[in-house]
Amino acid sequence: MQPRISPPSRAVASILRCKRPLKFRRQYATIVPTASHDQITQSSSPIARFPKNQPPSFKPPEFRKSQLLRQYASLLRSTPLMLIFQHNNLKSNEWAAIRRELNNALRKVDKSRIAAGQTEGNIGEGVKIQIIQTNIFASALKIVEFYKPESESSALDPTNPATRSSADLPHFKLDGSNLTHTLSVTAHEATNKKKHPLVPLLCGPLAMLTFPSVSPQHLKTALSILSPVPKVFPAPTRKANPGYHDLPVQLGIRKLLLLGARVEGQVFDVDETKWIGGIEGGLDGLRGQLVAMLQGIGGGLTNTLESPGKSLYFTVEGRRMMLEDEGKPSEEAPVETSS
Amino acid sequence: MITTFLTEVRTSFNPFRTTGNAARIFLSFLPPNARQTMKVTTKLLPRVSKDPSIVELKFKDGKEMKLDPEKLGIKGIIEEVDRHSRILGRAEELNGN
Repeated sequence: MQPRISPPSRAVASILRCKRPLKFRRQYATIVPTASHDQITQSSSPIARFPKNQPPSFKPPEFRKSQLLRQYASLLRSTPLMLIFQHNNLKSNEWAAIRRELNNALRKVDKSRIAAGQTEGNIGEGVKIQIIQTNIFASALKIVEFYKPESESSALDPTNPATRSSADLPHFKLDGSNLTHTLSVTAHEATNKKKHPLVPLLCGPLAMLTFPSVSPQHLKTALSILSPVPKVFPAPTRKANPGYHDLPVQLGIRKLLLLGARVEGQVFDVDETKWIGGIEGGLDGLRGQLVAMLQGIGGGLTNTLESPGKSLYFTVEGRRMMLEDEGKPSEEAPVETSS
Repeated sequence: MITTFLTEVRTSFNPFRTTGNAARIFLSFLPPNARQTMKVTTKLLPRVSKDPSIVELKFKDGKEMKLDPEKLGIKGIIEEVDRHSRILGRAEELNGN
């Protein structure tokens, strides 16, 4: 028996398989001119085809990877000071104990700063230690460092009734090839071949300690908790802070290894990081040092500038004295010659 | 990796070079209680230093091992440690422990 639905002939099947529109398409004669398919799909209408906070993405946005990349990029853009630690098999109770001690110590620093009259927000509240995915972090780092899109998309909002219906909204292609956000194709292509000095560090189990602003005081406290060095960053004594000498804290700290830091976009190794933490009196202390140094230079400069004037004055004064001294004999001298 | 027969681990590496990665990953392979059962010392080289990274091990039977992580890689290091550890494990088993 013949099948009721006959299979499509070879010619029809080839047309169905063909994805590109055929060049010579048979068209029916129509009286009403209609907009072509291209005009409908690609005209620039003031209707956005996607929510403003959800532009089409190069990497699938529903994956955890993509969201981590966005999270790391925003973290890197917002934090000027971050320390990189290697954590070698810390247990969860050790992490909890270390976080507790770190928070307590930073809160103490905040209190002392407020007592001293410095109210630059609570920096200690924003200090977080978190474990990172190294490869995604490296990618985010490269995007933050090397990818600077030239212009932000225009601020026209299609949902705003004040926007004219004829306004030319930025037109995004459906493949997202002209987008400039972190997950876009352009960001990927601009950065995936670049090399960053911090990238070799991003290997193995890593944790980040991030600060919301560069504060050597907080850095010093954090270093004295997480990687204490006798005399430079002494760990709190058993009397001052008995909680720090609990077993989980001590075991955990021995397994944390400070590798480096990123400060204001610059890469620092361990010794340089310790130098930053060792700045006396924090940023204000550094400013004080700078002012003192500049004053010293200024004093020297005024001395230098004054000295020719002074020496001229002394020379002229000396000459005047000499002339005055010579004047008396010279008055006498003509008398002598005349007589 | 069999770490029960290790008594001392000494490593030194420069984290800013990829040659130090094998030594760093070796450290992360040590178990959580490693610092109580063995002596672990780590030396971080400064960023500009080009000294080779080092992994030095001591076993319970007193054997000392000097491994070159740049040449062996992490897989090679694990292989070397496991090879000697298996010998020690077998000897222990035969002694009836």
